[in-house]
Amino acid sequence: MSAREHALKYWYPVAMVNELASGQTRETVLLETPLQLEATADGNLNASAHKQSLSVQNAFDHWWVTLSDNPYPLFKVPEAAETDRRFVPCGVVRVLCSPLRAVENFLDIAHFPFVHTDVLGAEPHTEVYKYDVKIDDTHDEVIASNIRFYQPQAAKSAEGGIETQYIYRVPAPMVAVLYKTCPQREDAMDVIALFVQPVDEETCDVWPWMALYDDTSSMADLIQFQQFIFLQDRTILENQLPRKLPIDPGLEIPTRADLTSVSYRRWLKKRGAYYGALEGR
Amino acid sequence: MSFTLYNYVLSGNCYKVRLMASLLKVSYEAVSVDFHPGKAHKQEPLLKLNPAGTLPVLVTADHEILTETQAMLVWLAQQYDVDNTWWPAHNQPQITGIMQWLAFASRLSATVGELRLHTMLNKPLDAAPTRAGAIKALRELESHLTEQRIHGHPWLAGSSPTIADIACFPYTALSPDANIEHDNYPAIRSWLHAVRCLDGFITMPGIFELHTLRNPAGADASPLSDTVA
Amino acid sequence: MTSHPVGLSGNLAPRQVMRATINQFDIAVWRSESGIISAWDNRCPHRGMRLSHGFVRGESLACAYHGWHYNCEGFCHYIPAHPELTPPKTVRPVIYSVIERHGLIWINPTAEARAHELPDNLIPLRTLTFECDENTALHAMSSTAQHAGESFEPGDTLSESPRIITVNTPAIANGIIIAFHQCAPHNVIAHVLVQNTLSSAAQIDVSRWLESVRRHAEANVSEYL
Repeated sequence: MSAREHALKYWYPVAMVNELASGQTRETVLLETPLQLEATADGNLNASAHKQSLSVQNAFDHWWVTLSDNPYPLFKVPEAAETDRRFVPCGVVRVLCSPLRAVENFLDIAHFPFVHTDVLGAEPHTEVYKYDVKIDDTHDEVIASNIRFYQPQAAKSAEGGIETQYIYRVPAPMVAVLYKTCPQREDAMDVIALFVQPVDEETCDVWPWMALYDDTSSMADLIQFQQFIFLQDRTILENQLPRKLPIDPGLEIPTRADLTSVSYRRWLKKRGAYYGALEGR
Repeated sequence: MSFTLYNYVLSGNCYKVRLMASLLKVSYEAVSVDFHPGKAHKQEPLLKLNPAGTLPVLVTADHEILTETQAMLVWLAQQYDVDNTWWPAHNQPQITGIMQWLAFASRLSATVGELRLHTMLNKPLDAAPTRAGAIKALRELESHLTEQRIHGHPWLAGSSPTIADIACFPYTALSPDANIEHDNYPAIRSWLHAVRCLDGFITMPGIFELHTLRNPAGADASPLSDTVA
Repeated sequence: MTSHPVGLSGNLAPRQVMRATINQFDIAVWRSESGIISAWDNRCPHRGMRLSHGFVRGESLACAYHGWHYNCEGFCHYIPAHPELTPPKTVRPVIYSVIERHGLIWINPTAEARAHELPDNLIPLRTLTFECDENTALHAMSSTAQHAGESFEPGDTLSESPRIITVNTPAIANGIIIAFHQCAPHNVIAHVLVQNTLSSAAQIDVSRWLESVRRHAEANVSEYL
């Protein structure tokens, strides 16, 4: 099976559910295939490629499509059913990088003090403490847990910060889900996900999505917080060489802090998810 | 509060006003507007404030509404620059030079700014002529900065920074977001670096923190806080 | 490979980083606080981030992504995620030979860098990038002099590779030197050096002349510029 054939078997986000008005159309590209999207009067989405109608489903405030007749089922995010959360689709951002690089960066915490300075991290609190990574056998997902990292308070009285707990899930090659300490509720975690639409192997459209407990912030504030963070990452992602993700050891040098990324690359290789990956060294 | 800024965190023009306020150490109230994906700036109630449907919008304590970014810089300097160096109204020849670069800044928004929205947020655009216009504008800036340097002036309009520098800084600094790197513009690179070294300088996504100058032991105020002290 | 003049020393102040391109070589050039210049393969060995986006602290270049610090010999000596760790000597980008002479930065990616000898009474004026190849730029220089009545005319060729030529001005024969660096097939950089006695006004004349040469050179290349 080719890298692209493997990638065809997944579902990908192509639009937000409330994005298109009835009758409105839009063109996009998925896995090098031009797609036509049209919002229908009854609130659904028609998607087609080469005049062939495609399967569409509504999940996590986005429309998901697949180019396969026999796709893997869409992954689950149980928190999407918790109706007291705020659900925040953040819009699309185009990035000139491999879709896999976009996911891997999302799984990385060591860059926080340098890329998301004073928000998600700050010197001298740069150390990444030991954490756990495993492949969940039931769902065949990468899970990284027991991650803790010092984060400055994002308020002007930034006297001292908090140690934030993180758990990461990679339920599909181009999806990453983060569970993060919720400042407003001790018994729950906020969910922040990155849904990646692969345009081609070196270009992607990224759709961040959040499911939060936050009664105070405006929707615009929540969206802009996430966009602020992701657009800082974009500058990094567009300057990594090579553009594709090196999937075999040797071309790059990981450390203990990169355990999630190492497991992610191995997991991609094991399942043959080579679309956007660079083999060999 | 001294004024209210209707703000979008990724807009270079909004950043221009935030940067100027930070350099002048002025606090204000920022109201987030869902520019992308919500297009809230093209809808009520924002259109009632600014029928042009652009951001930022600045509302003064006296309820005066400003919708043109370059005018906001003039207003900020007139209100809060006690030394009259950012907008030296008494120096007519210098004011003429500043006006030249305030107008030029609109060209940067129309070229680099539009290309950036196209490249980053998939805004429909005829990219090739816009890109050519952006490169043309950046080359003019590069040439002017080169000549300023020959005269011994590191800034756009004189021997100290003015609102002209702040007007032109954001979209010049953000051009890599639109895939126009700074490699071919050495005079621009030096000038960008000089602006980033100014006391009170703040960043936005696309413009890296100058960690060179940072004291690793102490954290500064959050760049995302609602009010900038 | 020959040594390439990639930029002007004056455009790389202490604590600054720039990017140079020599065909397939993507190079980070940086100057430490004390003034030491280095030229490295533009890839952090950790996660491939371009080092030209990095920041200089003292005598180290740090990567913008995770802050890995490299000393002037290229060895990584500090990994912020593991402050106690002594990084292995293998964590080091590919190092290129670089020297500075006549106000120019010379790099050779495959051998020891050497500078072409030029007269000593020159100062670097500016660097201009042309979106065309070297021959088109050279041709435009001759034809601009003929057709636009410019009083600058190409003179002697001092070097073929890299191409270095003199330009005659009304006042002084061979008063200007232009060193070319063809960084990509359709991208050539022209470094202009002038005699150190030239007035500011005359320097600006030279700078504007070269801009008009560029407009001429690119006229047939781009529909828009």
